[in-house]
Amino acid sequence: MSNHLGQFETGTADWRKILRQNNRRTLIVITLFFLIYCTIGILVDMYLYSSTYSNASLSQLFFALITFTLFPVATVIMLIIAAISLWVSYLLSDKLMLLGTHYHEITSETAQNVNEQQLYNVIEEMKIAAGLRYMPKVYIIDANYMNAFASGYSEKSAMVAITRGLMEKLNRDELQAVMAHELSHIRHLDIKLTLTAALLANMTIMVLDILFYNAIFSNRRSSSRSKNSLFTIIIILRFILPIISVILLLYLSRTRELMADAGSVELMRSNQPLASALLKIHDDHNQHRDQYNTQYQQTPHENVRREAYLYDPSYAGIQSISSIGDLFSTHPSLETRLAALGIKRKLS
Amino acid sequence: MTLIIVLIVVALIGYVILTYNRLIAQIETIRNNQKQIDIQLDRRFKVFESLINVVKKYMDYEKTTLKDVVALRNQAQQAKEAGDEKTRIAAENQISTIASHLNVVFEQYPDLKANQNCIQLQEEIVSTENKLAYAKQAYNDSIETYNATKKSFPTTVIVTGFRNKLDFEYAYWQLTEQKIAEQEAYTVKL
Repeated sequence: MSNHLGQFETGTADWRKILRQNNRRTLIVITLFFLIYCTIGILVDMYLYSSTYSNASLSQLFFALITFTLFPVATVIMLIIAAISLWVSYLLSDKLMLLGTHYHEITSETAQNVNEQQLYNVIEEMKIAAGLRYMPKVYIIDANYMNAFASGYSEKSAMVAITRGLMEKLNRDELQAVMAHELSHIRHLDIKLTLTAALLANMTIMVLDILFYNAIFSNRRSSSRSKNSLFTIIIILRFILPIISVILLLYLSRTRELMADAGSVELMRSNQPLASALLKIHDDHNQHRDQYNTQYQQTPHENVRREAYLYDPSYAGIQSISSIGDLFSTHPSLETRLAALGIKRKLS
Repeated sequence: MTLIIVLIVVALIGYVILTYNRLIAQIETIRNNQKQIDIQLDRRFKVFESLINVVKKYMDYEKTTLKDVVALRNQAQQAKEAGDEKTRIAAENQISTIASHLNVVFEQYPDLKANQNCIQLQEEIVSTENKLAYAKQAYNDSIETYNATKKSFPTTVIVTGFRNKLDFEYAYWQLTEQKIAEQEAYTVKL
C-alpha cells in the first residue's frame, strides 16, 4: 500500500463483531432517551396531579400513573408532540447539510473529467455492494480541504458530498473506502437516528425547563409535601439532564462512526484503503492546518456538518467548535478508529 | 387472566407474521442480487463494444485479444440460452482475464493511451469489473443473511411450518475446485 501505512502493523478487522457491538450500544442509548422522555412526562403528570391529590405521596402518584389508574395526560400529549415533530423534521431538512457551501451535483452524464467519472463509478460500485435500491445524489464541494459527508433520511433521499480536495488527492481504492464509509452511514440510517435522538433530547430539556419555571413561580406557598420533594427533583434534573443528554448524544455519534468504518470494511473486504485514506487526510490537515482553519471557519453553518464529516477537523487541532476531551467529541480518536480497523502503530 | 392469554397469542401471531415477511424479503433480495450479476455482465459487454470502436482507429483490432471478447460473449450467450451455467461462467471469466491485461496492450500505443475517450473507457472497464465482483459479493452476503435467519432458533420452527414458501437452498457464488487451483498457481509472466 502507500507509505502512509508504513509505520503501522496491519491486521484484520472483525467488522461483524464491531457492527454487533455498536448496534447493541445504539439500542441502549435510544431506549435510554425514550425512557428519559417518558420519565419527564410522568414527572409533569405527577406535578399536575399533586395539586389535585395533595395528600397522596410521590410513590402513590407514580404507581397510579404507570398502572393507568390516573391517566398520564401530559405523557401522552408529549409523545404525540414528539411523533409529529419527528415526522415533520423527516419531511423537511434535506437541503440543510449543504447550507453555505459551493457545490454542484454530478451524474454519470454530467461528469466533466475522469476524476469525477471515477468518483461516480466508485459510489455506484459501493451501492451495488451495499445492495442499496437507489443511487444517492453525488455533490462536489469546491474546497481544498479533504472531507466528505452523507445525509438523507432514507435511501431514496440520500446524498453524499465530497470536497474537491478529497477527490483529487486520494487514489481509487482510498476514495472507494471513503465512499463505502459514507454509504454505510446511509444504509445504517444514521442521519435519521441521530436526528431522532437529538430531537428527543431537546424536547426533554424544553419540557423540563417549562416545568422548572412553572414550579418556581407557583411553588412559593406550597401546601403539599409531595410537591415540595417534586420541586427538588425538578431542580436537580434541570441541571444534570442536559449534561447527560450531551454525553449520550456524542456517545451515539461515536458509535455510529465506528459502525460506518466497519461497514466500509464490510463492503470492501479490506481494511487498508480506509486506514490509508484516514491517515492521508490527517497528514494533509496537519500540513495545511492554518489554511484549512480559515477555510473551515469561513464556511457558514460548519457546525451543522461537523458530526456528519468523515474526518473530524479537530484531530488536526482545527477547532471550529471547542471540544473538551474524548467524552465530548463527535468522533472517536483517530487511534481508536485505526485500532478498530485492526491497524496498530508499530513499536519503534 | 384471559386478557393475558389473548395478549400472548396476539404477540405470537405478530411475531410469526413479522418473521414470515422478513424471510420473504430476504429471499427476494437474493433473487434480485442474482439478477444483478447478469445486469453487470451485460453492461460489461456494452462497454467493451464501445472500447473496440475506439481502438479500431489506432490498431489492427483483429490482431488483439479484444476480438476474442465478441466470440466469448457469443459463447456465453448461447450457453445461457441452453442453460449451461458452467460454460457460461467459464466464458465470462475469460473476458475478465482479457480485461485485466488491457493496460499492457495499450502501453504499446501511445496515441491510444492519450486518447481521452480511451482513458474514460478504461476507467469504465475497471469500474465494471469491480461492479461485477461487488454484485457477486452482495449476492453471497444476502445468502448469508438469509441462511443465518432461516437456521436460527426460533425462526427455524416457523420455517418448518411454511416449507414450500420459506425454505430454499441457494448456493454461494464460488469458483470450481479446479479453477481455484489454477488461480492459486497463477503468476504474472512479463
